[in-house]
Amino acid sequence: MLFSSITFLYYFLPLTIGLYFLFPKCLKNMVLLLSSLLFYAWGEPKYILLMGSSIVLGYGFGLLVEKYRGKKLGQVFCILSVIISLSFLVYFKYVDFFITNFNAITGLNIPLLKVVLPIGISFYTFQMISYIVDIYRGEEAQKNIIYMAAYIAMFPQLIAGPIVRYSDIAKQLETRTHSWDMAAEGIRRFVSGLAKKVLLANQLGELCNVFRGSDEKSVLFYWLYAFAFGLHIYFDFSGYSDMAIGLGKIFGFRFLENFNYPYISASITEFWRRWHISLGSWFRDYVYIPLGGNRVKRGRQFFNILMVWMLTGFWHGAAWNFIVWGLFFAILLMIEKVWLLKYLKKSKVFSHIYVLFFVMISFIIFNAQDMGQAFLDIKGLFGIDGVPIVSAQALYCLSSFFVILIIAVIGATPAVPYGIKMVCHKPIGEKIINRIEPFVLMVLLLVITAYLVDGSFNPFLYFRF
Amino acid sequence: MKKVTCILFAVFLAAGFLLCVFLPKAQYSDSERRKLASMPTFQAQNIWNGRFMTDFETYAVDTFPFRTAFRTLKAVTATNVFFKKDNNDIYVSDGFIAAVEYPFNEDSLNRAVKRFRYIYETYLTKNNKVFLSIIPDKNCFLAKDSGHLSMDYREFEEQMKQKMDFAQYISISELLEKDDYYKTDTHWRQEKIIDVAERLAQNMGTTLSSNYKLHTLTHDFYGVYYGQAALPLESDVLQYVTQDVFDECYVYDGQNNKEITMYDMEKAAGRDPYEMFLSGSLSLVILNNLKAQEDKKLIVFRDSFGSSIAPLLISGYSQITLVDIRYIQPDYLGQFVHFDNCDVLFLYSTLVLNNSETLK
Repeated sequence: MLFSSITFLYYFLPLTIGLYFLFPKCLKNMVLLLSSLLFYAWGEPKYILLMGSSIVLGYGFGLLVEKYRGKKLGQVFCILSVIISLSFLVYFKYVDFFITNFNAITGLNIPLLKVVLPIGISFYTFQMISYIVDIYRGEEAQKNIIYMAAYIAMFPQLIAGPIVRYSDIAKQLETRTHSWDMAAEGIRRFVSGLAKKVLLANQLGELCNVFRGSDEKSVLFYWLYAFAFGLHIYFDFSGYSDMAIGLGKIFGFRFLENFNYPYISASITEFWRRWHISLGSWFRDYVYIPLGGNRVKRGRQFFNILMVWMLTGFWHGAAWNFIVWGLFFAILLMIEKVWLLKYLKKSKVFSHIYVLFFVMISFIIFNAQDMGQAFLDIKGLFGIDGVPIVSAQALYCLSSFFVILIIAVIGATPAVPYGIKMVCHKPIGEKIINRIEPFVLMVLLLVITAYLVDGSFNPFLYFRF
Repeated sequence: MKKVTCILFAVFLAAGFLLCVFLPKAQYSDSERRKLASMPTFQAQNIWNGRFMTDFETYAVDTFPFRTAFRTLKAVTATNVFFKKDNNDIYVSDGFIAAVEYPFNEDSLNRAVKRFRYIYETYLTKNNKVFLSIIPDKNCFLAKDSGHLSMDYREFEEQMKQKMDFAQYISISELLEKDDYYKTDTHWRQEKIIDVAERLAQNMGTTLSSNYKLHTLTHDFYGVYYGQAALPLESDVLQYVTQDVFDECYVYDGQNNKEITMYDMEKAAGRDPYEMFLSGSLSLVILNNLKAQEDKKLIVFRDSFGSSIAPLLISGYSQITLVDIRYIQPDYLGQFVHFDNCDVLFLYSTLVLNNSETLK
């Protein structure tokens, strides 16, 4: 089930919120778990068993790791649990990729398994690993399987993150408070995330689709596509994260931020501190640091960076372009570490152009069907292969999506929250903002509903991860 | 105000939920001219394979309370807030609603020509005079001025002429302008295409009676684009012309084996009033002019535009056979249509030629 769907908004959510606040405190996690299982089963009825077994295994291993912590057996159980979690992920997500490449290398013709990817498996597998590793490192295991299952399956972050560490919400699972303030904050966050997704991301996605289906490619069209896709993926994913964080707040949870205006970064290093923060920190804490992190010789450090970014790319999808995408960032990060970072600090304009350009190129690689198409798209940006400078369709799309692009550009910067903050500096301004905010949110909900009722274009990009 | 936000949100969701669950569901959308999805069957197998959920999503969207009003809100937001040049490929220019018809689909044109050539080679001989005429869609007269995408209609016409080398081309595009089309519908206005009918007749070697009477439907006509645009726009006025010769005509619906009238007044009051012309979408219709001066027969391969122009041509013929190969396989035509000594006109709109997958 998508958050940006009528079914979620007008059937699932009212029922879940109603039941959640109707039931006493001791049953709230149970309500959350059952509604989360329904939410998951709605999209993947068959894979509910897979997630259930993952939870039971994780729960059991968690207790075992805690019991034998500090002993060899604790380490064995920890490694075993991680291997089992990863083997589920490898089988369901990567097996056909490995078979395809094995066939290509050996000339064999092993048939593909064509396994359907369980929704959200990449996210909940990483949460499970973080749970087990955190226990191994000293965190207390969850004794109540309902609470443990509610943590893994919690619907706000189940299918698209952010990747919530057990250590971050362990206490909230046991004791959390609910308040009007927190719920109102959650509602604002949820509605603005929904607006980002439905009113901006979906429309920018429509522009990308028009480009993909067009026979009238031109240099302008390639740039328009690259620009639009960069904004599309940002609003799609950060919108979903906002909705998750907002829903979390309504239910009394405080999830960590996942995006912090990445497009205002002045270096790729900074970009990755602002983009998909929960994934970046997960790889840092569970892969990069265990590999030695920065406290090793430069050669080994670069190996660590390459390894982490190859895995980051591979996490996003079972295809070579994702691996290349990850390695592309690894190379940029290494160049910045060795040489570029100090020069970037000298020119703000250059550093921003540099970041936007390379991030745009990276997303062209990311969104390509394969590397062949990625090269074709990148060549198109520079008019190689005789692509014309402009085409009628590119001009039409530019004028038709112009306002949306402008809104998206402004929305990708902290300009709006900054503006609101400035207005709120004065008591009268704050009063006005506070008065109109609830009504603005309701109008937004109405317009979002109108788009959902009218539109069929509503896929969520991060589903495939 | 935090409390107000929470209460408003709760009321909004609760009201939405209650309306979704308890409000009676429409089964048909007049504005979209389609059947709406119905509640899927709640069965274990449907749930296990995910079918129930997928179908429910469609059902929830299709039967959402005040769906038409929400579609209007979306269209207004898209055009007046986001300044999109079109909404779902529909745009409004100078009060006319049109659909973006772009780009020129050469493969589609080739496919159409292939189907027409098949008919020519299978059924026609040198004794048949074959004509071709192309009706430009409304977009041809609106798109350029309003800054919308417009395919190269001249190129379209040229290619069609070249590829249909077995037919004599009759150009009508210079006789048409935007006012010759309905504002809310795809089609041309019958009362405005008398000159087109005369041009066709003249080129096919016949003359038409110029004795026309104009009639106007009393109720509003909302065409197919009206529902698609979902914008609050004015309705059209549907007019039709009659001639004395109509009293001497016998119209036969070959698809349903029954006599029909030139203008079906029941359909004029129905969901799509344009269907009043020769009863709308029928694969085979034969117009017999019982008082014709000479035995001159015409077979028209046509789309829905043909329904409104055929009555204007009947005074020049003893029989006009209308064939719509979107609804009948050309392979079976020999069983129903006699081609001997008949003139043949291929009369198609660019809308069908540019999307010819509908042709059988």
